[in-house]
Amino acid sequence: MNSLSDYFHTDWQAMTVNDWIGTILTVVVFVLMVVAYFLVFRPKNRDRLESMKHIPFDDDDDDDEGTGARDGRP
Amino acid sequence: MDANLEQKYDLDVVRWFTVMAVVYLVVGAAVGVYIASELAWPALNFDSPYLSFGRLRPLHTNAVIFAFGGCTLMATAFYTVQRTCGVRLWSPRLARFTFWGWNLVILLAVITLPLGLTQSKEYAELEWPIDILIAVVWLAFTINFIMTIARRKTSHIYVSNWFFLGMMVMIVYLHVVNSLAIPVGLFKSYSIFSGVQDAMIQWWWGHNAVGFYLTAGFLGIMYYFVPKQAGRPVYSYRLSVIHFWSLMFGYVWLGAHHLQYTALPDWTGSLGAAVSIAMIIPSWGGAVNGMMTLSGAWDRLRTDYVLRFLIIALAFYAMSTFEGPVMSLKTVNALSHYTDWTIGHVHSGALGWVAGISIGAIYHLMTRLYHTEMYSIRLINLHFWTATIGTVIYIVAMWVSGIMQGLMWRAYDEYGTLAYTFVESVDAMHPYYAMRATGGMIFLFGAVIMLFNVLMTVRKSLAEGNLDRARALPAPA
Repeated sequence: MNSLSDYFHTDWQAMTVNDWIGTILTVVVFVLMVVAYFLVFRPKNRDRLESMKHIPFDDDDDDDEGTGARDGRP
Repeated sequence: MDANLEQKYDLDVVRWFTVMAVVYLVVGAAVGVYIASELAWPALNFDSPYLSFGRLRPLHTNAVIFAFGGCTLMATAFYTVQRTCGVRLWSPRLARFTFWGWNLVILLAVITLPLGLTQSKEYAELEWPIDILIAVVWLAFTINFIMTIARRKTSHIYVSNWFFLGMMVMIVYLHVVNSLAIPVGLFKSYSIFSGVQDAMIQWWWGHNAVGFYLTAGFLGIMYYFVPKQAGRPVYSYRLSVIHFWSLMFGYVWLGAHHLQYTALPDWTGSLGAAVSIAMIIPSWGGAVNGMMTLSGAWDRLRTDYVLRFLIIALAFYAMSTFEGPVMSLKTVNALSHYTDWTIGHVHSGALGWVAGISIGAIYHLMTRLYHTEMYSIRLINLHFWTATIGTVIYIVAMWVSGIMQGLMWRAYDEYGTLAYTFVESVDAMHPYYAMRATGGMIFLFGAVIMLFNVLMTVRKSLAEGNLDRARALPAPA
């Protein structure tokens, strides 16, 4: 391995159909990941996303959470 | 009394899975302690093929992963999907089929594995008829879960359900592809893959069983039960979304790091290691997210024994998701591979993370499902310490043993010949194997305490008539 260009050298002629499917899928999923990061960390979406964190507590009237003993406290 | 819970949700199958999970924890850990003892004191084989390490080891892994882990996942998934979606299960009958089908799979594993009936694929040993049954039962579980979400009353699908769903979809895909085989008899089949492709498919399944089953599924548990037990919402919902998608994207690449220095092309191992290192970021993001949920309420850890289990599990999650990527690097792998270091790593994840988060969730569930307090809070505390101390003794023994093994195997003298014979390295392991068995026994003792506490809680609930009263109350208008 003499140089960085050697390391990243690809024999495009030798690419099979499977190789191309895998390559394209990988690039597409990678781009989707970038989109996901952008959407999640966009300040405009902050309040809407963070409001979802309260969902587990929406039906708290159905049980009596927080009494010491049943929460594993002596 | 949580009266409304009984009217609003279908909790019977959750109760069954919860209790059976604890039973299987004891059974799986007991088999583990026995085979660990066999390695330290080989006379325990009793010259019986049915008790040999080779046959009982897959029984141990199947019991803890699929029996204990599976029942825990099914109990918690069926519970959280109902509570976060505000609806009953789509099909209680399908849920009951899932319970009986999954237990049938476990029974068949208990019968076939000691008889030596195996496909010899790690974590996928069961023969083809059982593989088909697993696929059918898992699909029933998945469809019921998806249809329950489809009928939800909330506009958003809470993140714990995403993790459960990611696990379900990927396990269908992984299990079916890895189990593709040509049957040559009722109890014998051959994989359709061969040579290095077989190895690659096996570890694509093997590591993703860790990534999607033992990590994503249990993160689904974490994202519901840690906030509920702490009584405060998860620290950052946005971080949980990124945690989910990064995990789904990243984990599928890692399998090749199990095959460094083999016939597999070198670049695949490098790619597996590179993505493994990258996975530290989302994994630690998730662990920090869970721990920071306690921000401002750290004092709860002094008094809430159930929360202790959940938070110590996150600490082990962070530790093992750092250790794993480091071990995947070729330089480290050259020392660690094929040694007990790997066993130590696996058990820091299995005992510390998977069992810890499961035990915390089960204790949380017990009081809600049986409408009573736990029989003994002091026994939960005793269980916490036995589980933690047992786990630490186990993994420390395996770390020391593994690094010693690796160093002995690669040591040369001045003439370039190996400094130690293999038998000398085995002999040097004996104290650590005894120490490992001791750690396992302490952990098993804790599991027995838990089973006793759970059964006594069920008995207490029945004696008090709480469950019957909760069921008999009129449904809310």
